[in-house]
Parts: sequence; structure tokens; C-alpha cells
Amino acid sequence: MKGGARVVIENHRHEGIFIARGKEDALVTKNMVTGESVYGEKRISVEGEDGTKVEYRVWNPFRSKLAAAVLGGVDNIWIKPGSHVLYLGAASGTTVSHVSDIVGPTGVVYAVEFSHRSGRDLVNMAKKRTNVIPIIEDARHPTRYRMLVGMVDVIFADVAQPDQARIVALNAHHFLKNGGHFVISIKANCIDSTVPAEAVFAREVKKLQQEQFKPSEQLTLEPYERDHACVVGGYRMPKKQKKDVPS
Amino acid sequence: MGDVKEAVKALYVLFEAASGYAVFEAVGLDAVGMTAEAIQESISDLNRFGRVVNMTAFKPFSSAADALEQMNAVSEGIMTSELQEFLQMNLPKVKAGKTPRFAVGVAEPKLGSAIQEATNIPCQSNDLVLEILRGVRLHFSRFVKDLKDGDLEKAQLGLGHSYSRSKVKFNVNRVDNMII
Repeated sequence: MKGGARVVIENHRHEGIFIARGKEDALVTKNMVTGESVYGEKRISVEGEDGTKVEYRVWNPFRSKLAAAVLGGVDNIWIKPGSHVLYLGAASGTTVSHVSDIVGPTGVVYAVEFSHRSGRDLVNMAKKRTNVIPIIEDARHPTRYRMLVGMVDVIFADVAQPDQARIVALNAHHFLKNGGHFVISIKANCIDSTVPAEAVFAREVKKLQQEQFKPSEQLTLEPYERDHACVVGGYRMPKKQKKDVPS
Repeated sequence: MGDVKEAVKALYVLFEAASGYAVFEAVGLDAVGMTAEAIQESISDLNRFGRVVNMTAFKPFSSAADALEQMNAVSEGIMTSELQEFLQMNLPKVKAGKTPRFAVGVAEPKLGSAIQEATNIPCQSNDLVLEILRGVRLHFSRFVKDLKDGDLEKAQLGLGHSYSRSKVKFNVNRVDNMII
């Protein structure tokens, strides 16, 4: 996409995300590292009112489940400028780079990936983005990386494992603030391919509820992914009415 | 859940940060009650949590290489000689033949048993310890006087890179281990 005066950048409803309106509209994030693409995505340079150039990177919903959820109309992703995010299943770091754009220099992304092959790309990407802390370790064992992670506002998980709910819960018990939030992408096939996707999602939501999670929203990632759901909610949410502390 | 029998003993917790080891003493547990739920209520507020625990010792890692060595050991549940020395210096002495009047909460039981085996310091890992550690993790940079805002993140960033690089490097076959 050519930049210049013909493209107009608008704020998206979610803070830190933007829409580029040109010949075609595109979801974009503000590039933390001007002049560089992470995975060959297009960049749009726009001149601001004061003549300074600001660069944005196009965020492809077919390559990123978080982008798919945003375009699918998710109510709140809880990831915004300044957020501390624990990202489980970071892979090569394509979506992580956009999350890094969103949280900006005052935020932190702890990016956990177990596979060494994609982990190498992740480490390389993180070299240029100082708000990304790469962690090549098994998300099933959060105690192994407890020295690297502080308390976070949001856990994003895209681990595609049958015991995903348990993995997210383990990490939340160690690192997610009281009243923090989670965003999970669930691939039905990865959990149980013998029952309909809807049944898998319902079962996963039930598992989450047993672990002090309070799911508040569920949406499918159609048309970008098949049989995927994105579930969003809170963790250890404060009780509405103040009751006596049980002892 | 809080064990009433433990209440008569002093409880310490070991916290491993990216910048160093720290020991906290849980002093105000009686005031808030011994249950994990009660701790959970108090941790979000630093003023309340500051009355629950005191930091009694902090030992920063001497270098980036030292930090990496400590982390490699801690993540595998191994006690280094540095950690042993730190614990023995900053906890009450364990006398031979007597039951210690204190316990140390450790995040992970394997490291706990390694410590207990080598030093006879009684260790425990349970929900109460986990809750205290959540509070410590949330407020850690405010307990350590010399740590400015963002310093801890910098330590995490440096250690995260060196730890992850060493993990990736260990794989000799690198690109050639694709399974097609």
C-alpha cells in the first residue's frame, strides 16, 4: 500500500490499534521500530499534521488470531498502551510484534515459546524490540521461568494444546494480577476432534470457570479461521458486594 | 490452605528475581488470618501487604553471567552454592538435634527438597506460599530501595535474552531437525 497523503489513519475502538483508510482499509499498529518489517508485512508511512512521519504496519487477520478477534468485533482485548502481557505460544513472534506495537515503550510483553525453531526467530525479533522479553521454555512449567516474569495485566494464550485451560490457569496462579484478564484462542481440533466444535468450546469455558476465571465473552474467528473461538474474561474478579472475609 | 499448626512457627519465603535472591519474613499473618484467601485480599494494596511481609535480605547477582548460572539452576530445581550461602547467612541457624522453629516457603517443591537435603532448613510449597509470592512479585521493586522503576524489567530483559539464547544454541542440529 502506498503511503503519503492519500492514506488516512484513524483510531480503532481499541486503544493502540489503528485503521488505515486508503484504496482498501487495513488494520494497522504503530511501528515501534521504524523502517523494519518483521515478517514481510507491508508498512505505511503517514505524514502527521506537524510534518513528522509516522510508520504503521499492516496486521493481517489471516495470520494473527488476535487481529481476527479484533476484526470480528471483540468487545475488549484488555491489551493497551502500557499493559504488561504474558503471551503463551509466541511462535515466531509475528503477532507478538503487533502486541509490542500496541503496548508501546511503557509496556512489556513476556513471550513464551517452547519450540526452538520458531524460538530463534522470536529471539531475533526481540533484539530490536526492547519491550519484548523472549522466554524459550515450556509454558506447562511456569516455575521454570518464574525469575523472568513479573505480575501481568493480561495473559494471551494461543498454545493449541489439549490441556490449554490448565496451562493458562497455572500461569495465571503465578503471574496474573487479581482482577487481570485473559484472552485465549481455542482451536477445537487440537482439543478434541471427535465432538462438534461448539461442545469443545463449552467444555473449555467450564474448565476455566473452575480455575477462578470468569469468561465474559466468546466469539468465533470466522471467516479468518475455521472452528476457532476466542474467549475473553477476568481472573479473581473483585466481588461486587463486600462480604465479611471468610477465615 | 493455611495450616494452623504452621502458625506457631516463623515463616520466611524465598523469592528469586531476575536481579537477585531475596528473603521475606511473613510477620503479619496473624493479623490478616492464615488462609490463602486472606493473603489474597491483602496483596493488591502495598500498605496492607507491607504489614504482612518484611524483606529481610536481598543479594543482587554479581553479573549477567552469574544471573544466567543461577537461573539455569533454579529452573531445574538445583540449589547453587551461592543460594546455599545466602540462605544460611540470612535465616536463623538450624541446630543439630533440634526441630527448627521456622520454615521457608519456596515456589517450587523440587528446589525446596534440594535446599532441605543440603542444609536441613525446612521448606514448604503450598497455596499460602504461592499467595505470598504473588504479593511479593507484584510489589518487589518497591521493597528493594536501590531498584528504580523499570530496573527490574531491564534485568528480566537481559536475563530473558541470555537464557533463551542459550536454550536455542544448545540445539546443535538447528535448521536440520524439521520433520516433514
